Amino acid sequence: MRRIGVFVCHCGINIAQNVDVEALTKYASKLDSVVVSKSYKYMCSDVGATLIKDSIKKHELDGVVIACCSPRMHEHTFREVVSDGGVNQYRLEIANIREQCSWAHSDREKATKKAKFLVRSAVAKAKLLESLETSTLEVNHDALVIGAGIAGIQASLDLANDGFKVYLVEREPSIGGRMAQLDKTFPTLDCSSCILTPKMMEVANHPNVELLTYSEVTGIEGSIGNYTVKIKKKPRYVDVEKCTGCGDCATACRLKDRINSEFNMSRGKRGAAYMPFPQAVPLKYTIDAEHCLFLTRGKCGDKPACREACDQKAINFDQKEEIVELKVGAIVVTTGYDLLDPTSMYEYGYANSPDVITTLELERLISSSGPTLGEILRPSDQQKPKSITFILCVGSRDETECTWCCRIGCMSALKHVYLLREKLGDDVEINVCYTDVRSYGKGYEEFYRTVRGMKTNMFRGRPSEVQNMGDHQKIDIFDTTTNKLFEITTDMVVLVPALLPRADAGDFARLLHLTLSGDGFFLEAHPKLRPMDTFVNGIFIAGCCQGPKDIQDTVSQASGAASRVATILSKEELEIDPLIAAVDAEVCTGCGICVEVCPYEARVLNEKTKIAEVNDALCTGCGACIAACPSNASIHKNFTKKQLLDMVDDII
Amino acid sequence: MSITDLTSMGEPQVELKKEINDRLSKLQDEVSDYCYQCAKCTSGCEAHKLLELEPHKIVALLKQGLIDEMVNSDIIWTCMSCFKCRERCPQKIAPVEILFALKNLAVAGGKQVPGKYTSVLQSVLSIGLIQDAQSVTTKDMKTKTRDDLGLPPLSKPDDPAKFQAGLMKIAVEKV
Repeated sequence: MRRIGVFVCHCGINIAQNVDVEALTKYASKLDSVVVSKSYKYMCSDVGATLIKDSIKKHELDGVVIACCSPRMHEHTFREVVSDGGVNQYRLEIANIREQCSWAHSDREKATKKAKFLVRSAVAKAKLLESLETSTLEVNHDALVIGAGIAGIQASLDLANDGFKVYLVEREPSIGGRMAQLDKTFPTLDCSSCILTPKMMEVANHPNVELLTYSEVTGIEGSIGNYTVKIKKKPRYVDVEKCTGCGDCATACRLKDRINSEFNMSRGKRGAAYMPFPQAVPLKYTIDAEHCLFLTRGKCGDKPACREACDQKAINFDQKEEIVELKVGAIVVTTGYDLLDPTSMYEYGYANSPDVITTLELERLISSSGPTLGEILRPSDQQKPKSITFILCVGSRDETECTWCCRIGCMSALKHVYLLREKLGDDVEINVCYTDVRSYGKGYEEFYRTVRGMKTNMFRGRPSEVQNMGDHQKIDIFDTTTNKLFEITTDMVVLVPALLPRADAGDFARLLHLTLSGDGFFLEAHPKLRPMDTFVNGIFIAGCCQGPKDIQDTVSQASGAASRVATILSKEELEIDPLIAAVDAEVCTGCGICVEVCPYEARVLNEKTKIAEVNDALCTGCGACIAACPSNASIHKNFTKKQLLDMVDDII
Repeated sequence: MSITDLTSMGEPQVELKKEINDRLSKLQDEVSDYCYQCAKCTSGCEAHKLLELEPHKIVALLKQGLIDEMVNSDIIWTCMSCFKCRERCPQKIAPVEILFALKNLAVAGGKQVPGKYTSVLQSVLSIGLIQDAQSVTTKDMKTKTRDDLGLPPLSKPDDPAKFQAGLMKIAVEKV
């Protein structure tokens, strides 16, 4: 017979206020197989741990039940305590009498009764728990970072400097991401490219980093410590070994200045042979297969103009898509964000007038590498605007579009006010229609104060519509600070659009088996305590793919994710939790249903024995195969039918 | 413990507030409590410029439960029911529906209904239309009736008494 000890935690008053812990402890002591039962105010404290360890020795326990908070909180802590005490850590059962009892109920008497049932049921399981041993697997020490914006660059540099080999994959022709599109950054007004370009160069030249630009992840297999990732390298039609970045191909391209430049948010033009921006890394040209005349029609004049112009003979239209396979131990996903296309907010007239633009378009107009070389010109007539009006929260905090706050809109608009005042002087009228100005970061409130002092007309309210009057825009805005309706006539309207998950975030999440939160961003394993982890071991997230954030937070999170990855990669071997599926070979008929239902590809049918097997490294213990198995051959270790049914018997 | 509006000595009417919010929920609009006073409704309100209706203030007063103040005010009768506030509210609240509820309360409490409303109501009760079909004047100053334009005559209730009884039933059930 087992010798079980029951330990009841008061959790301060969290449990004790709604559950009579003394009565519960006394009740537990009388249960079958229970040889000792004790309570303590904080079982997770050092004193509590000593109490458990001493009891194990004194009473020669071989099973432990702890009635406390959710196993998600402290199971790990208590496993170590039990193990230190000399009992196999998998012979511990937690009875959750906090989240599932004291917090959920207010009737002390009934809650105590329920707690007794929960403890009784946990004891029933503890009687049957088996000792399990963790197994180990070897770790591949290389890392993969997906997305080379500032988050991906930072994570790659951190890992590379720690001595790990890093593959940095970027689907665009150049690394740099959104930050490369910015002119200045708030609240310090650092020149964005001045602080980003050195990092881009550093990551590109780092001996431990292998850049894979114009490439996409198309497949992934394996698990923590041993991932195999398929990367599609899209053809640039330019031999990067030969290309010197001279630009002769772009000058010669017959489509020069005829294709909307994505980098310039369609406010500028490029050709089919192009470099997205002057500081691009790698500094190589790319031929856009979607537009290039030769690639789409098979004909470009007599001969492709770019090929003729290239002295280095770098243009190669025979390049083919290439699939490379990488083996890595852990992955950081830093795929960034999209912006809301304000066309869906029809009332703001984004589609009706070229003079209604978004913040990122204004950013390109302000940037000296932008389409106007940094001159602020109104798109419709290329004249200097005399009045510019910002509308904040376009689609943000909006139940009909994006329910969340974009977290950067207020500050980016204030930054623009500052930069416009600097560029256009006091003559230009600047209006800001805000709902609430959220200047929550370090130095942000001070920056907001500075901008308030820069002859900024602040209207606390939200316009209902922007009317296109031809040569100007008209906005009615009710200002709730003065209780007055103002009519603003303005040359240009700048919309601050909501920040969205990438359009293909869902597809990408499926590819990597990641989970999305309700808003469509990648879901972290715990919002406070595991903000960079995902539910897939070995895959981490950082930056705006996890949720809207500014550059400061993005960089911090990226370094955090890199550190989480380093924890894994620095190990020679990883322990595998044995609470996973197993197969009863005597019973298995080899039907293969488990192989089909397994979402982690952890199931294989042994061709020789015709019996299903479990790959311990891949199995997450999700239980799908156990539910699907028609012959009860699939079992979940320490969650067997007998164990669970005994629990149920004792709870009812 | 209590909360008092010292300008009117009004106190929150919790039950009435719940009734109006329940009506919003039934119509699948959000309740007033979610309003964050962005005033997008008022910025675009057709009745604001001339008649000074401030829908965001109506929602704010409902949030505080100060309902009598609105029911007793003429301002609730200025809404043109264009539904722009409902269409554009970022929190899916419908000030226009709150105004309907307030107008119902005013009528139920025997408040004086503005003259035009009474004549419109009379017209609906007697002929089923807000107003009878009028003849129109063309560009060249000719008067045309529906018949002249080849339009069929408007149908009217066959049994006005039964029609009125039906309408009243709808009003009583607060559909």
